[in-house]
Amino acid sequence: MGNFGYPLPSLMSENPQQFLDVDALLERSRPRAPGARLGRMAGVFLLVVLLSAFVSSRGGEAASVVDLISNLVMVGLVGGLILFSWRTTRRTRMESMALQAIDELLCLRRWPEAAGVLNTMLSRPVVLAQSRTQGLIFLSGLLARYHRFDDAIRVQDELIENGRLDPASEYSLKMSRTMAMLRQDHLVDADRSINELRNYAARAGRALGQGQTPYELSAGLAVLEVYRDVKTGHSAEAIELFNTTLPTIREQLGHRIADGYVLAARAYDLLGQTDSAQDYYTKATFLAPAAELHRRYPETEPLAGKYRAAEGPKEAA
Amino acid sequence: MISTQFAISKTERDLTLGTLLRWTLIVAAVLAVIVQPLFEEWQMVAVGVLVAIGVIWMVLGVGSLRRASSGATSLIAAGEFDLAEGRIADALGSFSLFRMTKLMCLHDLAVLRHAQNRWQESAILCRALLNLRPISQAGIDRSSRLILAESLLELNDLPGVHENLAALYNQRLSLRQALGLMGVQVDYLSRVGEWNQIFAGVATKTELAELLPSSQSARVQALMGLAAQKINRMDWRDWLRRRVELLADVHKLCADRPILWELWRS
Repeated sequence: MGNFGYPLPSLMSENPQQFLDVDALLERSRPRAPGARLGRMAGVFLLVVLLSAFVSSRGGEAASVVDLISNLVMVGLVGGLILFSWRTTRRTRMESMALQAIDELLCLRRWPEAAGVLNTMLSRPVVLAQSRTQGLIFLSGLLARYHRFDDAIRVQDELIENGRLDPASEYSLKMSRTMAMLRQDHLVDADRSINELRNYAARAGRALGQGQTPYELSAGLAVLEVYRDVKTGHSAEAIELFNTTLPTIREQLGHRIADGYVLAARAYDLLGQTDSAQDYYTKATFLAPAAELHRRYPETEPLAGKYRAAEGPKEAA
Repeated sequence: MISTQFAISKTERDLTLGTLLRWTLIVAAVLAVIVQPLFEEWQMVAVGVLVAIGVIWMVLGVGSLRRASSGATSLIAAGEFDLAEGRIADALGSFSLFRMTKLMCLHDLAVLRHAQNRWQESAILCRALLNLRPISQAGIDRSSRLILAESLLELNDLPGVHENLAALYNQRLSLRQALGLMGVQVDYLSRVGEWNQIFAGVATKTELAELLPSSQSARVQALMGLAAQKINRMDWRDWLRRRVELLADVHKLCADRPILWELWRS
């Protein structure tokens, strides 16, 4: 896969910590005010018109020279405008291709390459505000992947405050921010955020008028609450919520249901119900590698030493 | 409910009208510039014509661009089919200066009919789109071909599916399109009994299948499990079957693809 015109710095995969400098990227990626350059051009245009009119009104040889010069300047301005539009269109297209490439790299779990393209794209003013917003959404996900949760929260806060997101994107971003808060043990903030999300989903459910609960509308919210309950030692509540919302999580999250299974396995383990813990741990590891699940939820690491993970065919490892 | 034939004929008519208007405006502008130096007294008229053309172009252009993002795609993804149909009907009824806006509108209707499982209509719309050349911009041709292949598969038109899959193989696809293609291809190969081909590269295919939406992912993995059974790779069969059981309702899955009962009856 190409880098879509964005050079990949050679050091990025070695030290992503220094590589994705959040403050610098937030600052540098701000789009330039489009009016500045056009304003300068309009100023030159006005100056040429006024000067030409003034000299022409006085007549003489100077008038014909100024006419010629003003015609040339006009042609230059029109050429400049065409060049400016062409360059802007080209950069917009390149940014759009880069965003598609980042999306695909993230899907394919090629984190360093995604970080490289993202870092380069956000290191200079982005043409369209929407492209910057999408780039920052990807950046927050990537930072969470590198366990830089405070940085991820900073990016998410910036997006929620200034990103002009549609309701669905804002909801999804708030869920990611809550997950980052849980990972950083900001439990009070996380709890408040979960309540907000639940209220929002409940309102959406009422608006739809189909009698759906917040969890039926948002499986992600259910997984967040299960994780919070496991973290705070409310194992019985975690198990009950997971088992109740299992069909919704399966339908909406697909393979990420493994997250729910491994969290429920930990909850059973904490309650000393080892048979159920083994059953759920096996189910989780059928769908996702144990190492990946423990990376996502460090609280589940003790399960690795106590229970047997599912074994797949050799080629699948 | 938008009629398929009406949508196609309206789009064709609007495309012709749009092309005619675009060329009329361009020719008028060129004529105004050429004629202006020949007739001294026409100078202001020519400037007026140019300004009028500019204003007409801008007004129609901005209106067309605004209608280009009708938001029907996100409504379809959210399952809001009635709202999406309304938006598409509005866009279809309005005039657009740009070809792309009208083609996107017809494409959105094909996506909607596909999401509603109305395969026949979806296939007719995609075929009409592919005939309205050139449509290569914004990847509409690849997307339409993929939807067409999927619709034909549901209609059991296997030669049609093969023809469209072959055409897609010659094109550069995005990841999501490539995943869609893999889903259709595995399904098609199961219909023609090419189990070895389904099983080839099974590890990579399984990883890619994880990126598909839940129900499609389950179907692809179940068909690969069946292929593993057919070629006697019971380790893969057991593993894939267990994964599918965790991902989807087996009865629903088999009701959709009865051939998959073999995987659970064995």
